[in-house]
Amino acid sequence: MPDALKAEGITVRFGGVVAVDNVSLSLQPKGILGLIGPNGAGKTTLFNAVTGFVPMDSGKVRFFDRDVSSEPPYKRAQAGMGRTFQTERPFEELTVLENVLVSAFLKEPRRKDAEKLAMEMLKRVELDDRYDQPAGDLNLARRRRLELAKALAIQPRVLFLDEVMAGLNPPALREMIGLVRRLSQEGLAILMVEHIMEAIIELSDHVIVLASGQKIAEGTPQEVTSNTQVIEAYLGTE
Amino acid sequence: MIRHLIGLLVLLVAGLVYPWIFPSALTVGVTILLFAGWATAWDILGGWAGQVSLGHASFVGIGAYFVAIGATEYALAPWWSILMAIAVAALLSLAWGRLTFKLHGPYFTLSTIAIAEILRLIAINEDWLTGGATGVFIDWMPTPFGIDLFAREAQYYLALVFAVGVMATIIWISRSRFGYQLRAVREDENSAMAAGIDPTRTKLKAFMLSASLTAVGGGIYGMMLSFLEPHILFYLLLSVQIALTGIIGGRGTIWGPLVGAVLLVSAGEIFRTSFAEANLLIYGILILLVILFLPSGIIGEFNRRLTRRLYARRAQG
Repeated sequence: MPDALKAEGITVRFGGVVAVDNVSLSLQPKGILGLIGPNGAGKTTLFNAVTGFVPMDSGKVRFFDRDVSSEPPYKRAQAGMGRTFQTERPFEELTVLENVLVSAFLKEPRRKDAEKLAMEMLKRVELDDRYDQPAGDLNLARRRRLELAKALAIQPRVLFLDEVMAGLNPPALREMIGLVRRLSQEGLAILMVEHIMEAIIELSDHVIVLASGQKIAEGTPQEVTSNTQVIEAYLGTE
Repeated sequence: MIRHLIGLLVLLVAGLVYPWIFPSALTVGVTILLFAGWATAWDILGGWAGQVSLGHASFVGIGAYFVAIGATEYALAPWWSILMAIAVAALLSLAWGRLTFKLHGPYFTLSTIAIAEILRLIAINEDWLTGGATGVFIDWMPTPFGIDLFAREAQYYLALVFAVGVMATIIWISRSRFGYQLRAVREDENSAMAAGIDPTRTKLKAFMLSASLTAVGGGIYGMMLSFLEPHILFYLLLSVQIALTGIIGGRGTIWGPLVGAVLLVSAGEIFRTSFAEANLLIYGILILLVILFLPSGIIGEFNRRLTRRLYARRAQG
């Protein structure tokens, strides 16, 4: 079985600034890969380059057995890359169910089937009791879960989570960690960008640490958190 | 869905009864129906896909001119020339969209004004194509089943079929996958792409459908005017009226454009007869009031409140 995702030598420049500098990563089917690093490390840029939302200056992205390096984001989504957005942007004027319906239509062109699928996804993130509420009225924690339901409704092969834990209060954080773990146990490969160490350590089986656009460490959560370079990058040196 | 189909049936019955109640106001009736159809067609692009066009007069002009030139030069029946106008409008909007859909928001809107102005200048200056600035007079129409297509009554029923047909189309779209792709693209192109939707393709489809339907109404309008002048038919004012009808009624709603058409056309008519010179002032004030107090349009605001009320009622009960 090939890797679910294999990115090699990804480089992204914004003008003269190298936001991501020759970074490679791979994700096993059913694995959880955590991407961490201080602010401005290039995590989200790398994430967006892999999912196709930011153009790469060089590098290759393979998704299962398909080279998607030059494909636009919607083709990568059709191939099975399901992503959330850091600044969650529900379609505010649509209801919660309709938001998920948009994604569900990708694989289920008929309204009835799509609605059924969308409702199932809402159940998975425990938002089904609010299916007819305008999405713009949801609070932050629920918007996050809605983002997740939208990503799940395209029936992805890999789930890309961009800081789904940020800004959640402790109980909501615990719930979200439990939810991501359940999704992983159900067989989804997951790549998550995260600021919150607790979540990364608990969930990931492999972690990549970025600082100033470069990969500075890689390994299991335990290996990475005991790495002096990582501690320096996060806490600074005296 | 059922609600909307009943609404459509009510519209059809009201439309059939109207000539019996207001036999002397048939022209107003045709105008309302044409604007309802145009604004609904405009709204596929302007409301559902969120790309505000101020160039739709071009497609009205194409429809009207195909009917006129077809009849006078080639003795072509209007149903054939309208079919040709549909094809031309679709191809034109495809090229037009490819050229301008890289632009967003007000920049897209400005580009539609520019292209429509170019088309207007072509229509005025290319005499061999349109008869030029002096205009074209339709002097012949076929008489299918003995129906006189120059008669206002026949034109009224054609306009009714047009308006009901366009509205049936939008009712169907609103429930379909295409309808949700349109809404997603309008709300956020990145989120739409994350759902596997190609925004440019979706907007092109919306533009082509919108333009083709507008051209059909243009063909009926041509019969009604029977004398066509390019600086009226391709003019910005008509584009603005079509867009305003949709905006005031409520963009991206099924019934908004119809409500806008009834309100604006009948208000324009009443004010012109009863206030003489002040009519445009009052017309302007009316538009201002709606935009100030109902920014989503009349039906748009109604729908917003309805959705929230329905949710609140279900969540409590």
